[in-house]
Amino acid sequence: MTTGTKNNLDIIFNHLENSRAFYIWVSILVSAAGLALYAILMSWIYSLEIFEFSAQVSWVTMVSNYVFLVVSSTGLCIVTSLGHVFGMQRYELISRRGVFLSLITIIFGMISIGAHLGHPERAMIFNLLTPNFRSAMWWMGTLYTFYIVFIAIEYWLLARPELIERSDQAQGAGEIIYSHMALKKLNNSRLGAVLKNHKLLQFVGAAALISGLSAHNTLGALFGHVEARPLWHGSYYPLYFLLSASFCGYAWLLAVSIATYKIKKEEIPENYKSLIFEMAQVLALLLSVGLVFTTYKMGFGLFAPEKVKPILLFLKGPFSRAFWLFEIGIGTVLPIAILLWAAPKKNIIGVLIASVMVLVGVYVMRYDFVVAAQVYPVIKNGLPSYLPAFMEVLFIGGLLGALFLTYILGEKFLPLKEEHRH
Amino acid sequence: MNKAGKNIGRRDFLKLLAGAYAYVTLNSPGLAGAQTSRYGKLADTTRCIGCKRCMSACKRWNKLEVERDELVSDRETDLSAQNWVVVNLRADDKNRSHRIYEHWACQHCIEPACAGVCPVKAITKLPRGNVVVNEKKCIGCRYCYQACPYKVPRFDFQKRVTRKCTLCHDRIPLLNYMKPACVAACPVDALSFGYKHEMILEAKKRVYKNENARYILGLKEAGGTDMLTILPTKPEDLGLIVAPIKVVNNNLDKLRVTGAGFMGAAALAGLMYTYASLTRENIQDDHDNRNEKQS
Repeated sequence: MTTGTKNNLDIIFNHLENSRAFYIWVSILVSAAGLALYAILMSWIYSLEIFEFSAQVSWVTMVSNYVFLVVSSTGLCIVTSLGHVFGMQRYELISRRGVFLSLITIIFGMISIGAHLGHPERAMIFNLLTPNFRSAMWWMGTLYTFYIVFIAIEYWLLARPELIERSDQAQGAGEIIYSHMALKKLNNSRLGAVLKNHKLLQFVGAAALISGLSAHNTLGALFGHVEARPLWHGSYYPLYFLLSASFCGYAWLLAVSIATYKIKKEEIPENYKSLIFEMAQVLALLLSVGLVFTTYKMGFGLFAPEKVKPILLFLKGPFSRAFWLFEIGIGTVLPIAILLWAAPKKNIIGVLIASVMVLVGVYVMRYDFVVAAQVYPVIKNGLPSYLPAFMEVLFIGGLLGALFLTYILGEKFLPLKEEHRH
Repeated sequence: MNKAGKNIGRRDFLKLLAGAYAYVTLNSPGLAGAQTSRYGKLADTTRCIGCKRCMSACKRWNKLEVERDELVSDRETDLSAQNWVVVNLRADDKNRSHRIYEHWACQHCIEPACAGVCPVKAITKLPRGNVVVNEKKCIGCRYCYQACPYKVPRFDFQKRVTRKCTLCHDRIPLLNYMKPACVAACPVDALSFGYKHEMILEAKKRVYKNENARYILGLKEAGGTDMLTILPTKPEDLGLIVAPIKVVNNNLDKLRVTGAGFMGAAALAGLMYTYASLTRENIQDDHDNRNEKQS
């Protein structure tokens, strides 16, 4: 904690007194973000075609990346709301970190889809002026806008007490910045009393959860409504997206919080540790349910005449390696085994590895899900290869780099640690 | 008596005919669009000679770019932002005599799925039947491309909007006697343009008369389309995309899909609540136990 710092310069210097590895990491992430900016700039100067893998497969990595990030965001919102909405006090340990992660993943997800759109500026204008209530995409965009607002307020409410604390302890610019961030002048007003009320936090958290779940449902419905794409069509994906959001949220929280403690070489508090192992067990349970869902999809798909061909792309077609190795192996079966082994043995590294594996598996799964549905029925013999374009890789890499950079900066300058209220 | 009886009989016959017409119109999705105010385009592949004058005329009227040798060869051309109409050689693998030049463009569905999914209502079905993209409004999300059963709306990477055939909506209302550019350019009368119900009748007449013409594409496919294509055999034999027969843009279906998701969300929230309340009680029990032990 940075409570011992005397003034804002001290804050900055203390942060900069980190190891060399920290500098290397930050510079790598900054340069990755720079490359992403370069890719966006080139797409504006030349044409959007540099991002495009094929004209026939028009939704590729940026869409799958968007889906991955917003699934993560909703999942994080689901997991954190167990704490301050449903009143499980031990989950309040992860509230701040989880809600902050949820906020930055949804923002970077929106950046990802914004770069994919031809005219993102028009999307904002005409979403308001001429809404199409029959379109799942309109509902998704609108609900996610509400979600971002709620989740931002939620994080602010969670962080406010410590921001005030920090502004009391800091001097000079630090004090001004932190007190403005916390809107400290409201403290003695009536509104300030309302802001301190736990019920308000619970209400905002519930609003964020409801808008998040609805937005996520319409994201699944966006794909489910497309009758022309047999793999997407149907009510399976809205349900599966909710489930995958849940395990994605658990995996993010486990991976990020354990990694943060390990990298900072700090001791994990005992109550946090027991929560981590509980979450690991829940993650294993959710992954097993996910495996049942996948089996159901593949099994029923084989018997549905319109779905056989896209399903076979996964089972033995060009997507089979991604499916069997990443989605099933690395993404589901191995993590379940590792988690079931690591949780009783209290092996924290095992939990970290398993949750990172889940995230990798889910990322590949999103990519396959988006691309494979477009291969059939348009491209007759499947794709010769399905690697993303170079600029796309630059953009996605840079975007994820910027995401982690934001997290590191948040970890440095914002209150993300567990609350000590209880 | 007889005469009067005959008269009534004829009226009855006409009534019956009108009733049957109304019945068919209201019941079959394919004919629901056969309103007298709506235009349709008919492409007869048994007449097409593959000269690609329609492609060229389309490009000239809509000011689209011409790619190298796409207008002078049998090279397979795909629809794109610059190709709103394509002519491709198609053959039936089972029967090599069924070799046709297939004139392919937007089918102008009666209930267009693209217009249903567009989040900002940039795509509209005009009363005359044209499905038109408003290029000043399009946000370039390409959802219409995903939803279209024929994969027609293509993305223009320079303009960053989706573009497709408009059935020359900027030609028809100005000069009512003018046809779309492609139809006007056809030298062998393989393309015709007129009121939709006339086009359906014409297509059926040709299928009846011409033994090579066996199938009318667009009567039922995708819920019926305002462009009809006469084919020598079924579309799947020629390797064309087979669109679902039922109406693609079915709102009830959308409700079902979305409703399932909301039920899932409610179930998830319920599970979370149960999980929370169960484990919360346990902790309280633990506290109680500890307190008892301490005391």
